[in-house]
Amino acid sequence: MSREKGLSEILKEILLVVSTLVLVWIPSGLLWAAEHGGEAASHDGGGELKDLIARIINFGLMVIILFVVIRKSSMKDFFSSRREEIRRKLDELRKGKDEAESKVKELEQKLKAFEQEKQQILEQFKAEGLAEKERIIREAKERAQQILQQAEFTIQREMDAARARLRDEVAELATKKAEELISKHMTDKDQEHLVNEFIERVEKLH
Amino acid sequence: MISSKISRRYAKALFGIGREDGNYEAYGKCLQEFAHFCEKNEAFFKVISSKIFSTEERTKVLDTVLAKSDFPDVVKNFLRVLLDKDRIEAISAISEYYTKLTDEVSNITRANIITARPLQQDALEKLKQGLEKLTGKTVKAEVSQDDSLIGGVVVKIGDMVLDGSVRAQLEGLKESLKRGEYS
Repeated sequence: MSREKGLSEILKEILLVVSTLVLVWIPSGLLWAAEHGGEAASHDGGGELKDLIARIINFGLMVIILFVVIRKSSMKDFFSSRREEIRRKLDELRKGKDEAESKVKELEQKLKAFEQEKQQILEQFKAEGLAEKERIIREAKERAQQILQQAEFTIQREMDAARARLRDEVAELATKKAEELISKHMTDKDQEHLVNEFIERVEKLH
Repeated sequence: MISSKISRRYAKALFGIGREDGNYEAYGKCLQEFAHFCEKNEAFFKVISSKIFSTEERTKVLDTVLAKSDFPDVVKNFLRVLLDKDRIEAISAISEYYTKLTDEVSNITRANIITARPLQQDALEKLKQGLEKLTGKTVKAEVSQDDSLIGGVVVKIGDMVLDGSVRAQLEGLKESLKRGEYS
């Protein structure tokens, strides 16, 4: 809003300067034409000098007017303030840019940190997963080994028990058969022989 | 149930008297005879050992029986004391221990010979001689027969058992087979 206002004021000032110049130039041109026309007939040699002086005066007046007008007007302030504003804005923009850049850097660092953290977490999870996997495998192997050992032990025990049962059965049957045979074929002579052997053993005990 | 310790105490008491008067063997025989009588006459033994009847009643019954016996007075009095002290129930145990005491003093040991078949007399004598050599005492043998031995002989003498039976050998063989000693 203020910028639009400043611009209109400048336009007004420029318009004022132009109108002043027109106002100055027109009379001076008319003056010069009147002088030039009158003098052309009367003066042939000294007329050129007068023309030069008039021109110089004219120019000087114009410069003075311009100087005064410009001095009085706020053009200088406008440009200086404008320059300040632009500089300030440039500073602000630079500052904003710096802030944005720093923020970008910060965000980049954070992103990097997040990436690193993510990587670490992933690696940690991976390591834990591997460890867990190894533990499960190890435990499973141990358990399998235990089951195998238990099974072998049970099999061995069952085999031993079966072997012992079989041996007992064989022993029982063999003894029974032997008993039957001995009972069947036992004679008084055998008894006498057994008693004599027993007596000999008793005597040897002494 | 009267403990063996009490039975021994009573047996020792009577044995002491018998040793003093020199009649311990006679007393022992009387005790054995009375114990044997009690075993054969169960009703009599129940009456004198049962507490259902009074001591006087039981003593009268005992005296009636003793009156018909030729037991020395010491033995009769000993039996009365046993009844009075309610120890008559242990007469068999007392008699057994008394016999042991008598055997010890007489250097006698008793052998229980179990045989599968009847023993020849000369074999029995040889066995007795062998056992006497082994124990260093006079052996009084009691022979019995047990067909389950199959063959051979078993001698129980004191705490010692000498087993020469076929059954024992077969048992040994069976155990060896079970232990796998022949495999």
